[in-house]
Amino acid sequence: MTTEAATIGLTHGGSEDTGLGHRGPESKSIVVPYGFWLFVLSDMVLFSALFASYGTLVQATDGGPTTHQLFHRDLVAVETIALLLSSFVCGLAMIAAKRANMVWTQAWLIMTGLLGAVFLGIELYEFASMIGEGAGPQRSAFLSSFFTLVGCHGAHVTAGLLWLGTMMAQIWAKGFQQHIVRRLLCFSIFWHALDIIWVGIFTIVYLIGTL
Amino acid sequence: MTEDENNLLDVAPGSPHDNIVSEVAAYVIGLGLALLMTGVSFWVASTSVLWGPGVAVGLVVLAIAQIGIHLVFFLHVTSGPDNTNNVLALAFGALIVFLVMIGTIWIMAHMNANVGMAPEMMNLQMQR
Amino acid sequence: MTLFGRLTWDAIPFNQPIPLITSLVVLLALGGVAVWVTRMKAWPYLWNEYITSTDHKRIGIMYIVLALLMLVRGFADAIMMRAQQSLAIGASQGYLPPEHYNQIFSAHGTIMIFFVAMPFVIGFMNFVVPLQLGVRDVAFPTMNNVSFWLTSSGALLVNLSLFLGEFARTGWLGFPPLSEKAFSPGVGVDYYLVALQISGVGTVLTAVNFVTTILKTRAPGMSYLRMPVFCWTALASNLIMLAAFPVLTVVLGELMLDRYLGFHFFTNDGGGNSMLYMNLIWVWGHPEVYILVLPAFGIYSEVAATFSGKPLFGYRSMVFATLTICIISYMVWLHHFFTMGAGGDVNAVFGIASMIIGIPTGVKIYNWLFTMYGGRVRFTVPIYYLIGFMLTFVIGGLTGVLLAIPPVDFVVHNSLFLVAHFHQVIIGGVVFALMAGYTYWFPKAFGFTLDERLGKAVFWCWFIGFHLAFMPLYVLGFWGATRRMQHIPDPSWAPYLNVAFVGAVIIGLGIVLTVVQLLYSIKTRDQRRDITGDPWDGRTLEWLTLSPPPHYNFAVLPDVHGEEAYWTRKQTAIKMDQLIAEPDYKPIEMPLNTPTGIICAFFASVCGFAVIWYIWWLAVLGLIGAFAVFVWYAWQDEHEHIIPVEEVRANARERRRIRMEHLHELSQST
Repeated sequence: MTTEAATIGLTHGGSEDTGLGHRGPESKSIVVPYGFWLFVLSDMVLFSALFASYGTLVQATDGGPTTHQLFHRDLVAVETIALLLSSFVCGLAMIAAKRANMVWTQAWLIMTGLLGAVFLGIELYEFASMIGEGAGPQRSAFLSSFFTLVGCHGAHVTAGLLWLGTMMAQIWAKGFQQHIVRRLLCFSIFWHALDIIWVGIFTIVYLIGTL
Repeated sequence: MTEDENNLLDVAPGSPHDNIVSEVAAYVIGLGLALLMTGVSFWVASTSVLWGPGVAVGLVVLAIAQIGIHLVFFLHVTSGPDNTNNVLALAFGALIVFLVMIGTIWIMAHMNANVGMAPEMMNLQMQR
Repeated sequence: MTLFGRLTWDAIPFNQPIPLITSLVVLLALGGVAVWVTRMKAWPYLWNEYITSTDHKRIGIMYIVLALLMLVRGFADAIMMRAQQSLAIGASQGYLPPEHYNQIFSAHGTIMIFFVAMPFVIGFMNFVVPLQLGVRDVAFPTMNNVSFWLTSSGALLVNLSLFLGEFARTGWLGFPPLSEKAFSPGVGVDYYLVALQISGVGTVLTAVNFVTTILKTRAPGMSYLRMPVFCWTALASNLIMLAAFPVLTVVLGELMLDRYLGFHFFTNDGGGNSMLYMNLIWVWGHPEVYILVLPAFGIYSEVAATFSGKPLFGYRSMVFATLTICIISYMVWLHHFFTMGAGGDVNAVFGIASMIIGIPTGVKIYNWLFTMYGGRVRFTVPIYYLIGFMLTFVIGGLTGVLLAIPPVDFVVHNSLFLVAHFHQVIIGGVVFALMAGYTYWFPKAFGFTLDERLGKAVFWCWFIGFHLAFMPLYVLGFWGATRRMQHIPDPSWAPYLNVAFVGAVIIGLGIVLTVVQLLYSIKTRDQRRDITGDPWDGRTLEWLTLSPPPHYNFAVLPDVHGEEAYWTRKQTAIKMDQLIAEPDYKPIEMPLNTPTGIICAFFASVCGFAVIWYIWWLAVLGLIGAFAVFVWYAWQDEHEHIIPVEEVRANARERRRIRMEHLHELSQST
C-alpha cells in the first residue's frame, strides 16, 4: 500500500481522531435519551407559547374574578413541595434501576406516583372550586389562559402517571432489560422537566400574579 | 469502539454515573437547594421588606436559579465535554422560549396600547 | 345529541356540482387503483415493502408520492381561482360563489404548504440524509413510519372535507374572529384545525428524529465540518421544525378550545384578543417558510457542485449562513403584520431584522455562482432549475426586502403584490429545488434516470408559466388589487388577469408533462439504467451505493477522510486503478417492519373525524385505540432482524465487481 493511499486513508483500519464525529454512530443508550431530550425541549417551547398567551391575557378579566380573588398560596406551596419531592424520589428510583434492584425501584416509583397524584388531586380540587364559584375557563380570557396553561401542565402530569404505571408493569414483567431502563430514563427526564415547568408556573402565575 | 468507551465520552442527559453515594448526594443536594429557593420565593412574594418593583424581578431570578438547580442536579446537564450536544440543545431551546415569551408580551403590550378601543370596550379587555 | 353527532346526509354536497363531481371522480379513481392493485396481487408487496416499512428510503418515497398527489389537488384549486378571477370581472359574477371561492383559496394554501411542500421536503431529507451521512437509517425508524402516516392522516381529513361537509373559508391560517364558532359554526374550520394538529404531531417527531440522526449518528470520521451541505440545511430545517411546531400546536389548540369549549382566547367578547392569534401563528409561520427553503438551498448546493465538477465554493460560509438564517428566522415574524398596530418602534426592530436575514441568503447566492464559475458545467435538468432559481428567487427576495420596510408594507400588505412575492420565493426557491432534487435523486431511488428532454420541457413550462402567472400580479398589487378577491371590480385589470390565467395553464401543462415524463421513463427505463449507482459523477456518499441501495445502505459504514468523502475516495481509486481493500463483512442488524404507524394513524383519523362531527363516543374510542397501539408496540421485545453475512457479502461483491469494471473504463479513457 503506497504512502499516498495510507495518507488519504484508503485502508480499512480505524478512523483518525478528528474530534466530534470520529467515532461513528453513537449507541442506543446515548441516542434515545438525546432524542427524548429534544422532544422535552420542544415541549418547553409549547409551554412558552402558553405562558406568552397567559402573559397577554392575564389582565383581560372581563369584569370577572382576578388572580387576587382566586389563588391560594398555601395550596400552591403544598403542590410545589409534593411535585418537588416526587422529582426527588424519581431520581432515587433511577439509581436503584441502574443497579437492577427490583424492590427499591418499584418502591421509589410508587412514591413518585403517589406524590404526583397528590399534586394532581390538589390541582383538580382547585379547578373544581374555581368552576364552582363561577370562575371557570369560559368566564374570561384570563381564566381561559389560566386553565389552559396550568391544565396543560396537569395533563402532562396525568400522562406521565399513565406512563409511570406502564413502566412499572413492564419492569415487573420483563425485568431490567436495556431498552426498558432506557425508557425509564426517558420518563425521569420527562418528570424532572415537568417540575421545571411548575417552577415557572408557581412563580409567574401564582406568586407574581398575586403580588 | 465498545459501548463503554462510547459512554465515557458522550453522556445522555439525566443518566446517572459514578458510585451510589455520590449519585444520591447529588439528588439530596438538589432537593435541598430547590426547597430553599422555593421557600425564599414564597417569602419574597409576601414580605414588605423589599422594594416593590424589585420583587417580581427577584422572583424571576429565583425561578431561573431553581431551574438551573434542576438541570444540574436532577438532569445532570453539566458543562463537561461529554455534554456539549445536550447543552447546545438546551441553549437553543432557551433562546426560543425567551424570544417567544418576551417577543409576544412586548408586541402585544404595544398592540393593546395603540389599538385604542372605546372606553366601554376597554373595560371588557382590561381590568386594573 | 344523536349517535352521529352533527353528521347527517346533508353533509354530502348533493347540491354543489363541483365538489360532487370531484368526489365521484376521486372515488372512482381510488376504486380503480384498488382493483388494479388487487389484480396484480400487489397488496402484500405494498404492505411489506412500503406501508409498514421502516426504511428511510421507502418512507421518503411515500412522502414524495403524497406530495405529488396533493400537488394535483392544490393546483386544481389554483386554476379554479385563476379562472374565477378572469371571468368575474365587472358585471359578471364568475362561476364560483363567494362561499365556495373562499373554501378553495383556503384549501389551496393549506394543502400546498402542509401537504405538498412539507412532505416533499421531508421526503427528500428522509431519502438522502442517512445515505449522505454514511449510516444505515435514521435514529428512530419506527417513529419515522409513524410520522409519515400521521401526516397522511391530516391530508386524508382535509380531502375528506370535499366529500363530507365543507372546508374552512378563513384562508390558510384561519384568523379569528372569523374562524371562531360565532362566525364559522360549520365543520370547515374544525376540519382544518384537526387535520393540522394530527399532522403537526408527525412533524415534531420527524424533527426529533432528524436532529438526533444528524448530531449523533454519522459514519466514522464524519465530523461536523465534513458533512455535506444538504445535511447541514436538513439539520437547520429540523431544528426550526422542532421549535416552531409546538407554537402552532398551542395556537391552533387555543382556537379549538374557543370553538369546542367556549373559551375566550380570541373571541370578541369575554376579553379575548384576536391579535394574539396573529402574533402566535406568525411566530410559527415565519420559521415555517425557512423549514421549506433551507433544504431547498441544500439541494441547490449539491446540484451546483456535482454538475460543475467542482467542490462547493465557500463551504464554511455556507454552513455559517445556514445557521444564521436558522436563528434569525425566529426574530422577524412581526413583518407579517406590520399594519396591525404595534407601532413604529416595534415595526422598526422587526423590519431591520427582516432585512438582515437577506444577507446570509445573498452569501449563498454568491457561493453558488462561484461554484459554477470556473467549473465545467453540464447543463442537465437540475442545473436548469438552479439557474432558473437564481433568476427567479433573487427578484422574489428583493420584493421581500421591499416588503420588509414598514412604510412600503403599509401600501401593499395583503395585496396581490404580496401574493406574487411569496409565490415567487416559494416556487422559484422551493418548487424548483424539489424538481431539481426529484431529477437528481430519482436514479438512486429507482435504478434508472428520467428522460432528459421531457424534463427540460417541464422546466420551461414551470419557468415561463410562473412568470406569466405572477408578474402581472405585482402590477395589480400596486393598482390596489387585494388578495382573495372573488369578484374583480375594475375591468382594466382584465388583461393582466388573463395573462396570469395563461401562465397557470402553462404550469398545469408542466404538471401533466411531469406525469408523462414519469410514465415514459418507466416504459423506456432499460435505455437509461443506472448500472454503476453513480450516474452524475457525484461527490457525496449516496453515490457510493448501487441504485437502488440495499435495505441496509452500506455493507460496511464508510470511513470518512476529509470533506467530500466520496469524491476523494473515488479519485484515489481511479488514480490507483483499484478499489479500497475488501473489508470484514459482518451480519447487519436492521429494524423490522411495523404496522404501528398506519394503525395509529387510522385511530388518529377516526378520532379526528369524530371530533369534527361531535361524535364523542367515537372520539374516545379513537383515542383509546391509539394509546392501545402504542402500548402494544412498546410491549414487544423483538424490533430488529439480522441480515446474514452471506447476503451482505454477496451484495457487496457484486457492487465491487460493477465498480471495478467502471473503474477500468475510466482509467482507460484518462
